[in-house]
Amino acid sequence: MDHRSHTYGVVAEFETAEQLIQAAERTRLAGYHAFEAYAPFPVEGLAEAMALKRNAVPLITLIGGLLGGLGGFFFQYWVSVIAYPLNIGGRPYNSWPAFIPVTFELTVLGASLSAVFGMLALNGLPRPHHPLFNVDRFAKHATSDRFFLCIESSDPKFSLSDSLRFLKSLNAVNVSEVEDD
Amino acid sequence: MTAQDYRAPESIDRIRRRALVAGVVGLLICIIGIIKAPDRFFPSYLLAFIFVLGLSLGSLGLLMLQHLTGGKWGIMIRRPLESATRALAVVAVLFVPILFGMKYLYGAWLNAPPSGEGALSEFQRSYLTPNGFRVRAILYFAVWGILVFLFNRWSREQDANPEDTAVRRRFKMLAGPGIILYVFVMTFAAIDWVMSLSPHWASTIYGFLFVAGQLISSMSLMIAIVVLLARSGPLSGVLQPRHIHDLGKLLLAFVMLWAYFQFSQLLIIWAGNQPEEITFYYSRLHSQWGVVAVIVLIFHFFVPFFLLLSRDLKRNPKLLPAVAVWLIFMRLVDLFWYTRPEFTPRALPTIWDLAAALGLGGLWFFFFAGQLKQLPVLPVGDPKLAEAIANDEH
Repeated sequence: MDHRSHTYGVVAEFETAEQLIQAAERTRLAGYHAFEAYAPFPVEGLAEAMALKRNAVPLITLIGGLLGGLGGFFFQYWVSVIAYPLNIGGRPYNSWPAFIPVTFELTVLGASLSAVFGMLALNGLPRPHHPLFNVDRFAKHATSDRFFLCIESSDPKFSLSDSLRFLKSLNAVNVSEVEDD
Repeated sequence: MTAQDYRAPESIDRIRRRALVAGVVGLLICIIGIIKAPDRFFPSYLLAFIFVLGLSLGSLGLLMLQHLTGGKWGIMIRRPLESATRALAVVAVLFVPILFGMKYLYGAWLNAPPSGEGALSEFQRSYLTPNGFRVRAILYFAVWGILVFLFNRWSREQDANPEDTAVRRRFKMLAGPGIILYVFVMTFAAIDWVMSLSPHWASTIYGFLFVAGQLISSMSLMIAIVVLLARSGPLSGVLQPRHIHDLGKLLLAFVMLWAYFQFSQLLIIWAGNQPEEITFYYSRLHSQWGVVAVIVLIFHFFVPFFLLLSRDLKRNPKLLPAVAVWLIFMRLVDLFWYTRPEFTPRALPTIWDLAAALGLGGLWFFFFAGQLKQLPVLPVGDPKLAEAIANDEH
């Protein structure tokens, strides 16, 4: 594992989305787990080829929604029943039907904020720099016209020479080592 | 691909026979009810009638929604929907006993005093009359009947001649105005048949409440039916998780819609706090009926809502129909909570409730299943059929 300090991984460049899907599939079948595909646009079938696991965003959203809703209700309850009780038209202090619209809105707010920020956190964003930007061709082409696949050195099966050779066997147009910062 | 490929399976006959037995036994007990205790029987009959009406009308609404939006989600259930709308004929026949039981149901406006407490307004005196009630009922069934007739007839035409684009255009042209008509007429029907149980109370969202409930019961039935047809019948190998996933999403949407309408009515009355408006909730949120209200809130909304949030459940051909059947049952409980407090403070179902629900439900299902057998269970003339049943999982 001594290479981890200076090698982030190895990256391969492909010309079409189909080649990327094939490469991702074969990388997975070869037993690699820590690899990532990069494309300038969403590629249908890529997630299946990589066998991406379900992520925790739905759960985070549910928890955020529940906290938002419960918080919304109990803030109103606290104000109306405990902190500053007012008799409004003879209704009970805990005038719960009147609390529901705000509760609902805060449920939506909590759910959507936690969905967005949960997604960003799980993606490790915001992140101003990434080791892959050390690869010139990646920095120039990854967001315009080329498709990349990177096997990361954190993978237990990773070895610099073997993984480079493996990527070459996938008919990549270009293969290079990615230096870590 | 021939029409013979998609015939309803034998297993539907077994269920159909059971439905007939349940229907006949139920109706026999109903006859005892009419003779021995008409004042307690007719509220039960009204409840069951409104329930089976919802199965047919909700299907009409969904069918028109499918023609209007043209989504692939509706292809799998189009034939069952059409069969359910044709069962409106039996619903219309089942309305007749209500005409004979009017005095046990609508005494509040039939026998209203000319002045003083309980008196009707001038408009109500001219609108809520026995003859007006009868004539309007004929009108309601005529409007729905015409819609049912046209959509079913065109569907047969499309089967015979799939290339005919004129039929497709007609479907689309009628579906939009048809939905408006259905909801409009249902609003008046709900006022006549249910809201007039308490003529001094009024709510403008009342018809929408019933429409939302009808959509829930109809979509639930459709989910149960397509899974049944896939288990041993012509849809096995055709019905994929993505199909019931779509139906489950719509069911979730309808559950939320229903809750939204229910709450809108409660919130406005709560905020207004007017003595003549709160009577409705006063009798329904206190003592025994208050318990039923909590049951409806939890088991008609919260439990199905949280269950249907799950993607896995919506794609599960065992669990989704279970939730759907549960919602059909909760529709009965909700209608029980809506109608019965006008008659009694006792919030317990009677033998007549069971008999009427079994009798009308059984008879309706017998007729529905019979209609389902008449045509292929998939709309073989629909241009979107091939795309809808293509085996791609996205």
